[in-house]
Amino acid sequence: MSEGPKEIGDRRDFLKIAIGIWGTLCAAPVLGMIIQFITPVAAKRGVRESVLVGQMGDFAQGTVKIVRVNKDPVLLIHTAAGQFRALSARCTHLGCVVQYQESPVPHFGCNCHGSQFDMNGVNTSGPAPRPLPPYRVTLNGSSIYLTHA
Amino acid sequence: MLNPDHFIPPVELPRWRAWFFERLPLGQIAAFLSSKGVPRHKHSFWYYFGGMTLFFFCVQIVTGVLLSFYYQPTPEHAYESIRTIVNDIPHGWLIRSLHAWSAHLMVGMLFVHMFSVFLMKAYRKPRELMWLSGVALLLLVLGFGFTGYLLPWDTKAYFATLIGTEVPKSVPLLGAWGVSLVKGAEHVGEETLTRMYSLHVIVLPLIGCVVVAFHLLLNQFSGVSVPTGTAVSKKPIPFFPDFAYRDLIAWLAGMALLLALATLIPKELGDKADPMASAPSGIKPEWYFLPLYQTLRMVPATVFSIDGELIVNAAVGILMALWVMIPFMDRKSARGLKSPLFTGIGIMIIVYIAGSILAGYFT
Repeated sequence: MSEGPKEIGDRRDFLKIAIGIWGTLCAAPVLGMIIQFITPVAAKRGVRESVLVGQMGDFAQGTVKIVRVNKDPVLLIHTAAGQFRALSARCTHLGCVVQYQESPVPHFGCNCHGSQFDMNGVNTSGPAPRPLPPYRVTLNGSSIYLTHA
Repeated sequence: MLNPDHFIPPVELPRWRAWFFERLPLGQIAAFLSSKGVPRHKHSFWYYFGGMTLFFFCVQIVTGVLLSFYYQPTPEHAYESIRTIVNDIPHGWLIRSLHAWSAHLMVGMLFVHMFSVFLMKAYRKPRELMWLSGVALLLLVLGFGFTGYLLPWDTKAYFATLIGTEVPKSVPLLGAWGVSLVKGAEHVGEETLTRMYSLHVIVLPLIGCVVVAFHLLLNQFSGVSVPTGTAVSKKPIPFFPDFAYRDLIAWLAGMALLLALATLIPKELGDKADPMASAPSGIKPEWYFLPLYQTLRMVPATVFSIDGELIVNAAVGILMALWVMIPFMDRKSARGLKSPLFTGIGIMIIVYIAGSILAGYFT
């Protein structure tokens, strides 16, 4: 009987640990469920669908327009040679939307921190670390579709 | 001001816990909670329902915050955003269903808690303020139910809100003005939806949290009431940890019931509301508004050339005022005596509410 108090202590410790493990096992899936719920769906799946952005007649030769692909701004370039090219309009530095600027030479500039990209999207000056990501252009008749490359 | 010298751990603690005990008055709080006793008698069972109401209120906050991550309160996007939550977002259907079912359970527990408090005469001196704050919480909860009902913007929600916002209009002076404040326009539309959303997720939660905190604080000041004329065991149940653990068991049972309801009977989403369409048949309010709905149905359109809706609204207003004033009217229980008259009134009200809910539901 002299070991009674220690046995009670052991039993309490065991119960505390058991309840702690049980509580963690119950809380973990709830927390996991909440994390899954709040994680944006598009970020997990990735968006790869082709999006119709307009007809060829909507874009004059030698011009650049910003079009919307899903929720992203995209530069649709109709070159003087009649080709279509598309680049993400999000600056690779901190995500501001870049602008088409004609002088001194045609390029894309970011007003936030002064990054510049040439007409192929290659970063030429400023803090931008990477070129503008390209989009795939698909022509179906006169319809123009863009796909995240 | 709390004396830091009193921040002494009651027993030898692990170092990390002792660190907090040395900086916060946790020892004093623990001492207070363990010295607090919950009376032990044949009606002690009813003490759990206040805690259960609080538990479902917490579930409402958590699931409501999660739903607000995706919900868009405009007529163009409200329905679609709920459909996205239900169909596309992982566990979205469950979160929405938990929110809807915990609202029902919260109202149910609140009614049980309120009537148990009434029948045990726990409103009597010195707990009048607890009763008043409790009635305020009842009105807030009904407000939560009403403002949340429109948010899915489906047919049932739209027409139920249309009807629900017409009823108080017959109240003289303030009725039409009050309705216009909630609706934001002549007819239920986008102005109503944004107002309902603002009330549901900002105004009512802010007021609700303050009133809940006040209600709980009063409980700490006044302790738990014992029904008049009830034999009480000399040894009360220590609030912490004994009663707190029992509360936890009740909460777990509530969680199990909530999960069962949310998974087995998930909250449905009807067709998108079309203000140009005819009202569908069988439109009824939520069960906790059925007593009012049923009473309105029973009263003729005019009684002695007085508008029937006005009569019902006046009766509800007077009854609500009397309900608020119960602690000040029941003089016998204030002196610690039994008051069978008020017990009888309480039972009559319970029977009327239960009967009208059943009648409203099945007819």
